Amino acid sequence: MRFEIKNASGVTNLAIEGELDAVSVSDLRPDLEKLVKGRPSLVEVDLSSLRMVDSSGVGALVSLYKRVRAQGGSVVIKGLRDQPLAIFRLLRLDRVMLNADGRTPPPAHKQSKSRH
Amino acid sequence: MQVVSAVGEAFNNIVLHGYAGRKEGSIDLRIQTRRSHIRIELRDWGSGFDPTGVPTPAFETLPESGLGLFIMQSFMEMAYRLGRPNLLTLSKRYVDRSSAARKSEGAT
Repeated sequence: MRFEIKNASGVTNLAIEGELDAVSVSDLRPDLEKLVKGRPSLVEVDLSSLRMVDSSGVGALVSLYKRVRAQGGSVVIKGLRDQPLAIFRLLRLDRVMLNADGRTPPPAHKQSKSRH
Repeated sequence: MQVVSAVGEAFNNIVLHGYAGRKEGSIDLRIQTRRSHIRIELRDWGSGFDPTGVPTPAFETLPESGLGLFIMQSFMEMAYRLGRPNLLTLSKRYVDRSSAARKSEGAT
């Protein structure tokens, strides 16, 4: 997993590549902590190069989303596809995290099995 | 994709929770594949858990944890036996597309 955090024109950009899982998330957490403490007004999370995510990785992204919004900021998640998108949909995060800022998620793929 | 996600969650669950606080632990992983079926068994000698006691995540609260079991159970059939070792079985049936296609062709 590789990530990059940039600040430009009042927007904090976080790009994550590769696999964000229970092991790699520990590399990301300290920087997420710093990011949140900076009280950003807008965080754009680019997940277009994220290949796999697990529940721990999702937990870190949800935590970022909740904490930034609790401070009055907003978080835009973009570029989700393939396995990460399927996980977000399964956990019903697409309804909240992808639509909250007016971004429309890509057309739904059918889940072969999901709980409702 | 679903199998990889489910097995990854199962494996991490054992490492993070079953063997929490330990430097080492063993996981026995067995994979059985058939044309239309895959079955994966994970055995461990750590702390077990009761999957029936784990509530379905309250999605409206945007939970940050407790999602792994839900992912496992959503993507594959799951069975769990507490013991020495603990045994977690994940299985999934596939639609045999080639035979389904043959049947479809035969019907037309």
